[in-house]
Amino acid sequence: MKLDPRTKLFLAIVANSVILSAPVAYSALMFAVPAILLLFEKKWKFVLAFFSVYLAAAFGFEHLKTMDVGRIGTLVVSTMMIISHMMPITIVLYYVMMSTKVNEFLAAMARIHVPTKLTIPLTVMIRFFPTVFDEARAIGHAMRMRGIRLFSLRTLKNPFSILEYRLVPLLVSITKIGDELSIAAVTRGLSPETKRTCVATIGFHVQDAVVFVYCMAVVLICYVFPDLVGDLLSRLT
Amino acid sequence: MSNVRSTGKKSSNTLVRDLVNVGIFAALYIVLAFLSSSIGYIPALIVFSTGSIGLVTSIPLFLFFSKIERSIPCCLIFCGFFGTAMFIMGQGVLMFSISLLVGLLAGAILKVVGKTFAGLFSANIVMSLMSSSMMLPLWTSTEEYLEYTRTMCDAGYVAKLAELAQSPWPLVAIYAFGILGATVGGLVARRVMKKHFERIGLAK
Repeated sequence: MKLDPRTKLFLAIVANSVILSAPVAYSALMFAVPAILLLFEKKWKFVLAFFSVYLAAAFGFEHLKTMDVGRIGTLVVSTMMIISHMMPITIVLYYVMMSTKVNEFLAAMARIHVPTKLTIPLTVMIRFFPTVFDEARAIGHAMRMRGIRLFSLRTLKNPFSILEYRLVPLLVSITKIGDELSIAAVTRGLSPETKRTCVATIGFHVQDAVVFVYCMAVVLICYVFPDLVGDLLSRLT
Repeated sequence: MSNVRSTGKKSSNTLVRDLVNVGIFAALYIVLAFLSSSIGYIPALIVFSTGSIGLVTSIPLFLFFSKIERSIPCCLIFCGFFGTAMFIMGQGVLMFSISLLVGLLAGAILKVVGKTFAGLFSANIVMSLMSSSMMLPLWTSTEEYLEYTRTMCDAGYVAKLAELAQSPWPLVAIYAFGILGATVGGLVARRVMKKHFERIGLAK
């Protein structure tokens, strides 16, 4: 099942604002959408792992947040807090990024008249987040082989050396990748002054309408009856 | 000599290169800023977290500044992306407008002063104002911010934040540490640029 990139953008914006501003029950309603959509993409394991970690963190946080847990406990609780509050947003963004191909995204952005000067760096940025982590991991392995760790005697003696050993190789490899990327882009005629054509077909279908109506319904319920879902939940439990 | 441009117009190939560089360095900057600001989750280190951002992000920023050709639009888009990322993470419109302003200012500095050490250094310090502004809502809209953190943090952390919000001095300290971090980071970055990037021809 394929959604239009514009619907995904709408979903991301609505889900983000609902998750950040509304009670927890609404964010559950909201991130159910990408979870179901991920099931359609056959990501069973991911969804299962996500839900078990999320439920554990949310449950633990609800019970521990009012207690005084000491200094170490504070770290644990704030980790739970970050997990339980960032994960719904993460799953929405993960779905949007995973399922959107770059050419579809560019075509959709061109259709809603976003200037190319914004979309080119944006697509590069989105594509680059995984690359940054991959490169950093590889460099970390290489440095560990040479005995340079985050907390070793050598790095404690000179904390700036860790910047030099980890950041400089990362920067060099990333600039190289970037140069190659821009050469490839220029070769294929990607330029802000020309109009691109695209073989990817994008358009609205039934599933787009369903997601749109669902999002609007959640937003409406959220603004008109802010306590409705919470009341229902408390009556059930 | 036939390919020397006489119109003064920059080619669109370098424009694509600039735009790709903005994307790459924005991704790197956002990742590094989040990683280095995460020491702020230890309550005693909240005030110092901005300093560590300035310290860590100086080297990538120096490289970014020295690689782009169109300073003002590139810095504007770069900071706009950072502001948008902060907006997605739950910061207000204030943060977004601050980032745009900082981007404009840093780009203007690079344009006026040029890509000498002084230009890169001062643009880097201006950039540190942007990452230091992450904590600004605690003072400008104290109640809302505390309410927002209360839903996600434990009582001890919120109490520490409320205590900080009582006086304006921690805010001054946050900006001061941010600028200090960028200053030290800038000096380190100058050495690193000379030692590594200029030698292998990545930067001029």
